[in-house]
Amino acid sequence: MPQFLSNKRLILLLIGVILLVALISLTLRDRGQVSLPEQIVKEAVGAGQSVFSRPAHFVTGVFDNIDSLINTFEENRLLKARLEEFAGVQAEVTDLRSENEELKELVGKEEDLREYNPIQAVVIARNPDQWEEKIILNRGTNHGVKENMAVMTAGGLIGKVTIVTPTTSTVELVTTQNPNYRVSAMVLGEDDVFGLIEGYDAERRELLLKRIDFSVDLKEGDQVVSSGLGGIFPKGIVIGEITEVTIDEFGLTKLAYVKPAADFSMLNHVVIADRLAPEVDGEDNGMTEDEEEES
Amino acid sequence: MIRFLVPIVCLVLFFVEPIFGLFSPLSIGGSLYYVVPRFLILFLIFLTVFYELRHALFYGLFFGLLYDVFYIDIIGLYSFLYPAVCLIAAYFFKKIPQNLLSATLLALGLLLAMEVALYLFFQLIGLTDAPAGTFLTSRLWPTLIANALYLGLLGWVFRSMMVTQDPQRGTKFGLY
Repeated sequence: MPQFLSNKRLILLLIGVILLVALISLTLRDRGQVSLPEQIVKEAVGAGQSVFSRPAHFVTGVFDNIDSLINTFEENRLLKARLEEFAGVQAEVTDLRSENEELKELVGKEEDLREYNPIQAVVIARNPDQWEEKIILNRGTNHGVKENMAVMTAGGLIGKVTIVTPTTSTVELVTTQNPNYRVSAMVLGEDDVFGLIEGYDAERRELLLKRIDFSVDLKEGDQVVSSGLGGIFPKGIVIGEITEVTIDEFGLTKLAYVKPAADFSMLNHVVIADRLAPEVDGEDNGMTEDEEEES
Repeated sequence: MIRFLVPIVCLVLFFVEPIFGLFSPLSIGGSLYYVVPRFLILFLIFLTVFYELRHALFYGLFFGLLYDVFYIDIIGLYSFLYPAVCLIAAYFFKKIPQNLLSATLLALGLLLAMEVALYLFFQLIGLTDAPAGTFLTSRLWPTLIANALYLGLLGWVFRSMMVTQDPQRGTKFGLY
């Protein structure tokens, strides 16, 4: 025992613990801003990590390919059936697109919340201790990535950028427990219904769509997309579909459970959406009006 | 030789951890299982008990800091936990029979303690609201089983790597 905790060591240990507690509380408070040494470390580790993740992605890619080869026959049959349908839909889309453009020209509307500049990125790491749902991408400010941008896969929205350094960016997934994580969303239907994606039910593995007007009727299976009104996300990114509608804890607004459309288990290639319309502060960066007044 | 071998192994394990993290969570039969790779700290525990505490403390601090800055964004969490776990490992290993099996069990026991400590910490700062039961079934047991598998496969490699390099191997008894 005296060997393990001599006086000198005890004092050193105490000082160390105090220092660490101070550091933890300091870094817990102002997340989002990255100091220079942190940035350098992130850059260096990110570079090393991409060296290791490339062969790993290659190997998983090979397995994926084998897997899809096995299912080729079944898939081909299904796709052929869909193909005839597709031609019709394609014609309709081109027609609608040109009509949309003409109408836009007619009213002189140039900016559209829907339009964005896609930045392709590769996932180089996932936070290995998985307490916070985070992934790290190989694109940073050098490629035009900014804080709070939307990140998605082909399936739908997966998260938003929280920290950027010149060549890496950290993405917090929508399945986080962070209470300041909000995405302004809308439910597609006859009339669009607006609400906020706020929180995640870990047991059901579904997102919570809150602050929906009480008088609105929602159906199960309705599609939920980003509304673009939060200031940073483009409009129309698929989030998921409604599985259940209930009343929130105060009984004043409705709450809907939304099953995410994207698959979060094996993330590889993602797209960062750089909105063309000017960005403003809004719910998408986790600030509400009262919070802004406080800060 | 070990002067270069240990940092290289540490670096490789550090970079391999998040790649294995990409496979998690595993969904088996409709429920999710979080498997957290803890390769580096298990290696450091082996380094502590079979080689030297001071090296392990240094590497623990260094890689803990990298881990904090790059993945966690809470500086001081792993850079405290890694050396602390090594210290505790050194203290307990003197009191138990010193062989590969006991070292493996000790490492897994410390891993369990570390996971619980992390769970309590993240609950304290409000990053998780998972009840203790969910934590046990969906995170702690899968993590322990996966890491036990890893130690079972590579534990003897680590030990033989350290034991042959130990400069004082003639003066210590019971280890080999």
